[in-house]
Amino acid sequence: MTKVKYPQKRNYRQRAHSNPLSDHSFDYPVSPDVMDWTKLYPRFKPENEVKFCDIGCGYGGLLVTLSPMFPETYMVGFEIRVKVSDYVNDRFLALRQDNEVYHNAGVIRTNAMKYLPNFFRKGQLEKMFILYPDPHFKKCKHKWRIVSEGLLAEYAYVLKVGGLVYTVSDVKEVHDWMVEHFTNFPLFERYDPPAEDKAAQVLIGSTEEGKKVLRNKGQSWTAIFKRIEDPYLVNCAGT
Amino acid sequence: MSVLHYDKHTNSFLLGVGANLYQLSENRAKLLVKCGEAPETTEKEEPIKEGEKAPRAEGPAYITGVATCEGRVAVISNNKVVETFDRDFQRVASTVAIKRATSVQITDKTVVISDKAGDAYSYSTALTDRKYLLGHVSVVMDMILTPDLNFLITCDRDEKIRISHFPNCYNIHSYLLGHQEYVLKILLLSPNLLLSVGGDQKLILWDLSTSQPVQTLPSPQEDYITISYSPPYILACNSRHVTVYKLTDTTLTQTSQLVTDHDIIDVASSDSRVALLTREPKLEIYQFSEGVMSGKCEVEGEIDLSQFKDSVLPEKKKVVRTAGFAEYFERKRKRIEEENLKEESKQAHINLQEKSKETHLKG
Repeated sequence: MTKVKYPQKRNYRQRAHSNPLSDHSFDYPVSPDVMDWTKLYPRFKPENEVKFCDIGCGYGGLLVTLSPMFPETYMVGFEIRVKVSDYVNDRFLALRQDNEVYHNAGVIRTNAMKYLPNFFRKGQLEKMFILYPDPHFKKCKHKWRIVSEGLLAEYAYVLKVGGLVYTVSDVKEVHDWMVEHFTNFPLFERYDPPAEDKAAQVLIGSTEEGKKVLRNKGQSWTAIFKRIEDPYLVNCAGT
Repeated sequence: MSVLHYDKHTNSFLLGVGANLYQLSENRAKLLVKCGEAPETTEKEEPIKEGEKAPRAEGPAYITGVATCEGRVAVISNNKVVETFDRDFQRVASTVAIKRATSVQITDKTVVISDKAGDAYSYSTALTDRKYLLGHVSVVMDMILTPDLNFLITCDRDEKIRISHFPNCYNIHSYLLGHQEYVLKILLLSPNLLLSVGGDQKLILWDLSTSQPVQTLPSPQEDYITISYSPPYILACNSRHVTVYKLTDTTLTQTSQLVTDHDIIDVASSDSRVALLTREPKLEIYQFSEGVMSGKCEVEGEIDLSQFKDSVLPEKKKVVRTAGFAEYFERKRKRIEEENLKEESKQAHINLQEKSKETHLKG
């Protein structure tokens, strides 16, 4: 059998920005009930559930780090760019043949802004990662940003109460934007992870983007948020 | 967007033709008021963000939606104007929405609109105090505020029906997922039953307690135009058919079908009558009894249907861009094939060398 080679990035180059509002041809299930995760994970059983999601996973650095750290947890990366998601796919194929681990991580080429509820049931996820999101600096492109008041409702929907969102950016304006949006959103509050939170420790060093920032002696800012109960419903119940 | 609306509070139909709002009682049409006049800008218009301008009315003014509650009527127009009238059809309030509104709902405490950007906003009855409620990533095609005011239901071009709590719409209660194309219209049949039609030419009856479809019916003739509900009957319109279904428990059974001479634009129904607007343009009123439409008659009164303007909805069916990725995968396949061939020939070469070494040693 031909050995699967580790992919080389030069064969998978693609433009960094993609318009998430336009309709590229994606495969996505009509609903989470019909999603076949065994296509992604060779050992996936009916009682298993994907618990972590890396939104905009890029070349897969975070997933490669997290996969052996949480070997019992199924995790997925969403990536909108065809070649980049293809790279991650090939990367895991190669890793799995050389290692016993990495069977719990995979990538799906899709648009996270549109199709999260198609893949995940309400409250399914325990952790979500938004690492080095595309800044989309221009005001006319702000609606392409992955963090917005409208989308936070969807993130809150797929995350369980008590679930966590991890964010990182090397652009202070983007970090501030994310902090402002999450903090003002009634279903999230800022969270200081305890030392035992393994995921929090690898946020900066594990991704290609993060390593580049470190190499260039740049700065990264992190912020973590917890999904909380709806204060409005809690108050109504109280009255 | 719908221009024909049954007003149960006055047992009459309201119809928007161009900028004119008409009332149909019995078979007579009466002009009520001209809509879409841009309000004078006052200081009370707060721009949505600092540094951004307050929205301005733009484009031709024609009615795209009507909603009613006991004391008020709300009208949305193509030029972004949102207005409310009292029951004497005196204008009570008006404002300019940020984007063109696609649906409107009104209660005695609030006005809610959805727009073509996919966002929903609420206003006070005086149309001040605009609050952002929720956002879809594509255009919101229809919207329902449940009568108990606990939920806001919105449907979009990305096949989704979203049920959010109200007024805390940031809290999504559930999704109804099953359509494979845009969801055009939704109707709440009871607190637990929702009906939807979509661009996939399906009519779906949903159980809201389980978020599952209980019945799916295919379209008798291509795309759906609209649906209407007069308990226990549902009227589903394609361009030339009106199919009537009776709802018993949680099952729909067809009771009759009517074929029209011209394309249907909109329909509204009460217990005893059905109003049909066709592309001639013509307005017809039918008797409606036991789920059967009959006794068609024309509408009398001063009504200038030539003013009718079709609401321009953004592209409904998705224009899928594949951006030449088939090429990328073809090139990749070739590259891997070449690499494998190279490997094989290298390996064959090494084998040959080993063999010749062996024979050399032996010899």
